[in-house]
Amino acid sequence: MQTSRAAPSKLPSLSRYGIAITLVAVALFLSLALRVPFGNPFWFFFPVAVIAGTWFGGRGPGWVAVGLSTVAVLYYFIPPLHSFAVKPADVPFFLTFVACEAVANWLISWQRETEDSLRRSRDELEARVAERTVELQTANEALLNRIEEQRRTEEVLQRTRSELARVARITTIGELTASIAHEVNQPLAAVVANADACVAWLALQSPDLAEARAAAERTIQGATRASEVIARIRSMINKAAPERVQVQLNEIVEETVALADRQASRANVSVITELATDLPAVLGDRIQIQQVVLNLIMNGIEAMTGVNSRVRQLLIRSQTQDGDQVRVSIEDTGIGVSAEVMPRLFEPFFTTRSQGIGMGLPISRSIVEAHGGRLWAESAENKGSVFQFTLPSTGAPGK
Amino acid sequence: MKEPEPIVFVIDDEAMIREGIQSLIRSIGLRVETFASAAEFMLAKPPNAPSCLILDVRMPGLSGLDLQRKLTDAHIHVPIIFLTGHGDIPMTVRAMKEGAQEFLTKPVRSQDLLDAVQKALARDRGLRKERAELTEIRARFDSLTPRENEVLKLVVAGLLNKQIADELGASELTIKTHRAHVMEKTQAESLAHLVRMAERLKNSLQK
Repeated sequence: MQTSRAAPSKLPSLSRYGIAITLVAVALFLSLALRVPFGNPFWFFFPVAVIAGTWFGGRGPGWVAVGLSTVAVLYYFIPPLHSFAVKPADVPFFLTFVACEAVANWLISWQRETEDSLRRSRDELEARVAERTVELQTANEALLNRIEEQRRTEEVLQRTRSELARVARITTIGELTASIAHEVNQPLAAVVANADACVAWLALQSPDLAEARAAAERTIQGATRASEVIARIRSMINKAAPERVQVQLNEIVEETVALADRQASRANVSVITELATDLPAVLGDRIQIQQVVLNLIMNGIEAMTGVNSRVRQLLIRSQTQDGDQVRVSIEDTGIGVSAEVMPRLFEPFFTTRSQGIGMGLPISRSIVEAHGGRLWAESAENKGSVFQFTLPSTGAPGK
Repeated sequence: MKEPEPIVFVIDDEAMIREGIQSLIRSIGLRVETFASAAEFMLAKPPNAPSCLILDVRMPGLSGLDLQRKLTDAHIHVPIIFLTGHGDIPMTVRAMKEGAQEFLTKPVRSQDLLDAVQKALARDRGLRKERAELTEIRARFDSLTPRENEVLKLVVAGLLNKQIADELGASELTIKTHRAHVMEKTQAESLAHLVRMAERLKNSLQK
């Protein structure tokens, strides 16, 4: 229903009609009351009642107000009074009055309806916006969840990848060692067998010099072969010269700490980093330096696994030293290194662990020294150890 | 019967080691044959002489352990001395289970190797003697007639002539004659000797 929909308020239609009727009644009363002091025609309260009636009641009650006031004016104010008859001379005047009232009603109701439909559109729009906002929020949440999920997956992937790389590296070192050992051992076995044979031929009651000589010659061949193998390995290592690029040690430390994160938390070790903010870059092989840091971190974690009487804490510091050096120190609260073991710490194949191959520290030291730096350890038994290395800085500002 | 000259087989892919070991063993007066691979050795004719194998575990192609398995499958029971650069425990266990004589790490001490060779040859000599005796015993037992065989079984089971006669439905005299033939044909010196020979034959068949 158009009229009721145009209703400006939420009032029930009965009340709206009541308001219109009351307003016309008030206009009639005022017009009648004021007729005595002011004389005719003081009935222009009626248009006000029509306007107000339409305003508050809407189009329908407005028309009721128009009708009632027309009847009231006709009866009370158009001569002959107290009759519905109209003198011909008063017809244009009366019709103008009715027309004015109708126009007022129409204009006001049109304005109200327009306003109303605007408000409705606005409400609808708002509702739709709210609806859409909720949808967007849900979509956004889902997206955030997925991003978080992806981030976690990537993290796991990254960790798996670095774990793999670590295992591969260790395996490679192990395989390389085994293969070198075999390569060297074969000619050595030949040397021993032939030298033994040579001695045996000479030890006979009547020594067989020809046989002894042949065996001795094969001994020489074997020894030559062994030294060739060593020369080949050495040249292979030299050929695979490490690359030299600008490396930010802090970055390497942070990455490596992330790599070792799982082992640290598994061993109940808290890792703390104190990294100098203005650390200059160093020149070196990223992977190799990372290997050194990882090795020292893992050693530190390992050294603390049996410790229960104090906090297991790994403190990693980086700082500038003497202006042209960068120093990284890795301090643990582990079992420490005894004075007897200390001198052998960097010896190849020396290990205190059942699973170790004893190559971590010697390899680390050779990497650091190949970079023009130093790697050393200080330790107090049952307190912990500090492993530190320095590398020459490039002077280029770090990040 | 003069024993044929023992042979030591050396199988190693490394020529210098092969020659060194060969030279060493020859220096104590033993005959040596060398092979560069397990496959090459498999092509050679098995010798009719006490022998042993010195075998490198790690070889390209057929490994030492593979060769050992093949020989076992072919019922060629020759003592094997393994040489290895890096003997790990599972490998050693496997080789020993398959009946390896010795497991030595390279570079091997000459005295250890020579001792191992002597021990292996002695063992093979023993095995060969055993096999020869068994063959001989089998030949003697094979010459028995079916009836004598029946009598033999019951004699070995500890029955008296009378019981055997009852069992086979023959006269005691007949059984006595069969029994005498059995003792003669198998060259048994006593009842105990006969039982021992029968036991050995039985054991060898069960193996």
